[in-house]
Amino acid sequence: MGLNKVTECERTKLESFLDKFQLPNSFKKVGIAIFLLSFVVLTIIKFADNEPLWLRPALKQAMLVGLLMISISREKIEDELIQILRSKSYALAFIIGVIYIMLQPLTNELVNFILGTSEAPDNMGYVQVLLFMLLIQVGFFEVLKRNR
Amino acid sequence: MENSIKVERAILNLTQDDLAKKIGVSRQTINSIEANRYVPSTVLALKLSELFNKPVNDFFKLTNDD
Repeated sequence: MGLNKVTECERTKLESFLDKFQLPNSFKKVGIAIFLLSFVVLTIIKFADNEPLWLRPALKQAMLVGLLMISISREKIEDELIQILRSKSYALAFIIGVIYIMLQPLTNELVNFILGTSEAPDNMGYVQVLLFMLLIQVGFFEVLKRNR
Repeated sequence: MENSIKVERAILNLTQDDLAKKIGVSRQTINSIEANRYVPSTVLALKLSELFNKPVNDFFKLTNDD
């Protein structure tokens, strides 16, 4: 059996399908630019008095798109170790994301109890959760990559 | 698992970067394998075997921990 055939044996159809979801490495820089730009504009409009209603949600979506682009961009050399580290970072982001969602209402209650306030529970939007999970994934992936 | 990739690489007078390019991985992956931080897949082990012209068992050895 040739080496190429051995390689094909180890690759399931699902793995080949997942490969199509990855963007070329150059998209990482585009993603970073979109994320940073939307973050800066979001910070600036916090101090603005009247901004268009659509601007804030649109910028949050742009931040999500930027982070997703960073997350699914290939490395310059996308080898098997990188793929393992990427999988680990997604697993960590998922577990930490779920724990975050579970603990967030408790934290709010605790802060309200300590401060003696009675603020209405802050419902987490999907943007907040997805941003948190993507940030954790991108962060852990970089840490794992540096310590490989 | 322990390996003697570093020795085999020295015999062929290859740098980590040369070996990495020959088997299509990054230099850091070769470094991780040599430092026993990462156990490569069967495919990568067979690629190394082909390059070193030796069976996989000659440069990958099981330890008592395995």
